[in-house]
Amino acid sequence: MARSVTTRRKIVYTVLAWGVGLLIFFPILWTILTSFKTEADAIAAPPKFLFFHWTLENYAVVQERSDYMRHLWNSIVIAGGSTLLGTVVAVPAAWSMAFVPSRRTKDILMWMLSTKMLPAVGVLYPIYLMFIQLGLLDTRTGLVIVMMLINLPIIIWMLFTYFREIPGEILEAARMDGATLRAEILYVLTPMALPGIASTILLNVILAWNEAFWTLNLTAANAGPLTAFIASYSSPEGLFFAKLSAASVMAFAPILVLGWFSQKQLVRGLTFGAVK
Amino acid sequence: MAQARKRRLRLSAIIGTVPMMIVAIGVYVIGIAFTVFWSFTDSKLFPNSTLVGFKQYHRLWQDDRWLVAVQNIWIFGILLMVFALAFGFLLAVFMDQEIRQEDLLRSIYLYPFAMSLIVTGLVWQWMLDPNFGIEHTVRSLGWANFQFSPLVDPNTAIYGLVVAGIWQGSGVTMAILLAGLRGIDAEIWKAARIDGIPIWRVYIFIVIPMMRGSIGTAFVLIAVGVVRVYDLVVAMTGGGPGISTNMPAVYVIDMITKSYNVGQGMAAATIMLLPVIAVIALIGLGRIVSTRRKNAAILRAEATA
Repeated sequence: MARSVTTRRKIVYTVLAWGVGLLIFFPILWTILTSFKTEADAIAAPPKFLFFHWTLENYAVVQERSDYMRHLWNSIVIAGGSTLLGTVVAVPAAWSMAFVPSRRTKDILMWMLSTKMLPAVGVLYPIYLMFIQLGLLDTRTGLVIVMMLINLPIIIWMLFTYFREIPGEILEAARMDGATLRAEILYVLTPMALPGIASTILLNVILAWNEAFWTLNLTAANAGPLTAFIASYSSPEGLFFAKLSAASVMAFAPILVLGWFSQKQLVRGLTFGAVK
Repeated sequence: MAQARKRRLRLSAIIGTVPMMIVAIGVYVIGIAFTVFWSFTDSKLFPNSTLVGFKQYHRLWQDDRWLVAVQNIWIFGILLMVFALAFGFLLAVFMDQEIRQEDLLRSIYLYPFAMSLIVTGLVWQWMLDPNFGIEHTVRSLGWANFQFSPLVDPNTAIYGLVVAGIWQGSGVTMAILLAGLRGIDAEIWKAARIDGIPIWRVYIFIVIPMMRGSIGTAFVLIAVGVVRVYDLVVAMTGGGPGISTNMPAVYVIDMITKSYNVGQGMAAATIMLLPVIAVIALIGLGRIVSTRRKNAAILRAEATA
């Protein structure tokens, strides 16, 4: 709190802030509402806000037409798998940078992070060719690997910022008591950093879930996750807004729900650790 | 004994970072090396190694589609940066006034950023559609002359993308700037009030300069998003109408998948990589110089002592 605010101003600010919040949330809300409308109600003028014929038909049609469940499963496997794999690689790296720093640690970290800032098209084509060679094109395994690679710098950075907050003396004490390195990381560091690891995992799942550049260019019918599924509704669907909305809701609902139950982690994760 | 343990610790530290280094070098360095190499070749559908010098670059800068893409990314980037930072800052100042249910509200502000740009693009394509979206709704409420359908006109379509981008980026900018705002010592407000300085001046001349860390973070986050922008365009306009919303990343993909001109696509990709690599190199160089200076200063201090 920066300075004291009078009650009346506080109410005015609260109303205003919530008004803006509603405005920001409106496109999402409207999409959700439209997904329950019939196509006729979806384009009615003036728009029907709540009093329309509620129906689940759009969802059934979308599932039937483009096999939502298959894409959902792909998304879960890709986001979950890449996160798991990335965390396994990142924990030792973050541990060594946070607790056994050398003169070069800061430089390596900055360099790692800077790779994340490079435009992905710079490496797309070589990876694409490599995927053809290895038979990884349009497979979930291939995407798990790519997602792990592109998000690894973020995972390491996030874990590093969390690990840094843990006093190194505790790990040293464990070491003095004869704990092996594996035990030190697994039974001392991990439990203490659990909230941080949870945020990191959440962020990475969201990033992998939303990633479209790689999924659109490296998958087709077989391994396409939800982003590919929703992109297929882009242009030819033009006039079927209720179905388009249903498809959109099916794609973002898991994130919305996940985010709702982990608001603190969401804030810290999405701001890449900048917000405590 | 302690020495040996320390050495072993160092060794495990190095082993710990090895997988990460392999990944970073393997993907980025080798990938980029290939991209740059092919940009100097005559590659068509598949890469070959017939070197042609700067021919692909020469042709690239004569291609209207590329020129439009470059112009678009500047318009998109600058407008998005200005508006996202401005809105983000205003929202952060709002949120700093003891708002009720702040955590909840902050999550709502952040939701757009948690959604895929594909979804964002689709939803906004629809919001900006003259037959169904905002324009249609406002007209049906009585304002018959209301106009807000930027995506239809090639001259304004890029601003439609900017609107969607601002919607997506303002919330996260707010969250970062709010953290910066909260980090400022409350004494400053007291001191400013005692001195009778108007609040807006405190914000502009004292608070904003003190927030440069978080402003920098937000700046980098938005800039990274701008350089990579691809999915938003694909979902929202597909680069149209015509070529009016083409972006560099879209251009590269089109060159590879539609024009079968890998060489020129790689030239475009190299051009996209250049400014980012230059900035990274500059920052790296700055770090080296500053540590050298520090070391020199320490040596000098030791010499005089």
